[in-house]
Amino acid sequence: MANVRLTNIRKSFGKTQVLHGISLDIASGEFISLLGASGCGKTTLLRMVAGLESVTAGGIEIDGRDVTSLPPEQRDIAMMFQSYALLPHLSVAENVRFPLRMRGMGTREEQREKVKAALETVQLGHLAERKPRQLSGGQQQRVALARAIVSQPKVLLLDEPLSNLDARLREDMQVELIEIHQRLGLTTIFVTHDQEEALSLSDRIVLLNAGKVEQQGTPDEIYNQPATGFASNFIGSANLLPAEIIDGPQGPVARFDDGQTLALEPQVATRGKVTLALRQEDLTLSADGTGPRARVRTRVFLGARNRYVMTLAGHPLRALTANDLEFGNGQDVTLAIDPARIRVIHD
Amino acid sequence: MNDRTENLLLALPGILLLGLAFFLPIAQMLMLSISGPDGPTLAHFARFLSDPYYLNILWRTVRLSLLITVICALIGFPLAYIMTKVGPTARLWLVVIVILPLMTSVVVRTFGWMVLLSRSGMIPEILRDMGLVGRSFALMQTEAAIVIGMVQVLLPFMTLSILGVLTRIDGRLEEAARTMGCSFLQTIRTVVLPLALPGIVAGSLLCFTLSASSFVTPNLLGGTRIQVLAASIYKSVTATPDWPFAAAQAVILFVGILLVLVPYIKLTGTRHG
Repeated sequence: MANVRLTNIRKSFGKTQVLHGISLDIASGEFISLLGASGCGKTTLLRMVAGLESVTAGGIEIDGRDVTSLPPEQRDIAMMFQSYALLPHLSVAENVRFPLRMRGMGTREEQREKVKAALETVQLGHLAERKPRQLSGGQQQRVALARAIVSQPKVLLLDEPLSNLDARLREDMQVELIEIHQRLGLTTIFVTHDQEEALSLSDRIVLLNAGKVEQQGTPDEIYNQPATGFASNFIGSANLLPAEIIDGPQGPVARFDDGQTLALEPQVATRGKVTLALRQEDLTLSADGTGPRARVRTRVFLGARNRYVMTLAGHPLRALTANDLEFGNGQDVTLAIDPARIRVIHD
Repeated sequence: MNDRTENLLLALPGILLLGLAFFLPIAQMLMLSISGPDGPTLAHFARFLSDPYYLNILWRTVRLSLLITVICALIGFPLAYIMTKVGPTARLWLVVIVILPLMTSVVVRTFGWMVLLSRSGMIPEILRDMGLVGRSFALMQTEAAIVIGMVQVLLPFMTLSILGVLTRIDGRLEEAARTMGCSFLQTIRTVVLPLALPGIVAGSLLCFTLSASSFVTPNLLGGTRIQVLAASIYKSVTATPDWPFAAAQAVILFVGILLVLVPYIKLTGTRHG
């Protein structure tokens, strides 16, 4: 267990700069997620912490020790890869023992005990003698996890470890990751492009965009108080609509390009051109009533819910509704939203 | 007619052709090796195996072939590894350089070595000028000359065999090993080498069989004094036309290669089958 400090990290590949000065303080035992779309630099940042990628500028400290120029084997970390990277010529037990053997941790007997305990943790004790290729994807994943935690590293690095699993297994593994983190308390850096994964697993989320930190905070803060248009769009895939805030008869209203208006909370002080972030799940639709009207383009049936894709003032607008609410394509519907759930983003 | 017999019938012409082309000559060689004036005899084998001169030739052939194979592996593995790590253009150039010796005729190439290695040739001259060797130093007509010449020809077989296997190893495995506490060399030893073993075995088999049966290069670079088995067979056929004895030597070469290869394949087969 150790804290990790990144100071003004920059990275360039040739002439392209992919990380533009990232600073992060990760507390001991914290579970932190690096969240962002592909190409935002999150995996590069993780690989730099691991020592697999050189640092163009800036510094990395693990447990108070400057490791910026140390090779990976001297950093006392463990990394779990998206492709699992199990050694195909070794059995499951030998794979899990590998970091212990290479670091010369303990006697052969102690190593065997630790391997056994780690495999029990991921419920794979009975497959210890198999070769990795004889295991299913989910089992390989658990072996990789056991191998990552067996040496009790100072920092556990997870590079999109769940993205190759089907939905059901992914949920199971999320629960398992949470429980293992609670039990072992390892400082964990988790890279993902999946906002739900980040929200459900992390103590803190760092949202990256184009090589910069867009916003960081607890899952609750990130979800409920997105600071920027990018953040609100990425988390909860909110609708972003350009509008202008003007004074209406009962307080401020947002006027869309086609002249329709939407009531805002009285305390909104901003006036002028802004972007409104409207969560899909916050919008309610009805066939009639007062409020802005939008035209239905498509309905996507999701089982538990319906998703409607509509057009409002020339912009696409998506809403999640109950699955018994049915509108036809081309029908005009009225939108309603709790003014407190509308986020005003300054351009 | 079931599928099996049908498949067999379809394959029959091919099998017959293979039989004619490969097994008939070998069978004929076997027959010839035991033929004598008074019916079948093992006299030719007895003559070879009881004569220290011929045993020495056999031992030299095996010893040099093993040495050439080991040197090829020692150069070929790092070379192939470097090829997987450099960019595509650099890799192409390295491959071209490695297979260049195969593009020239064996005679031309060997005469090139004769010029370079002869007493007044460039390499002994340089070594003498640097004071590394004495005045009487010679490379031509030594076993060293044979090894140098053969390694150059056989290196591409080894390198390309290993390269084929190395390019299929997931690069993440090496990275994973590094994060698990392996230094670079430990990663090579514990991850890359074991996974590259099939390629090293394939390359070694090629190198060993080709060098054990090679004739032109050892003959020209080693001279008449340092004979290998293939040259001895040639001499038996041409100098003292003794076909049965030549056939017996060929059988011994054939069996000798088999004896080396079978345990080698077994060893790696059981570990990675």
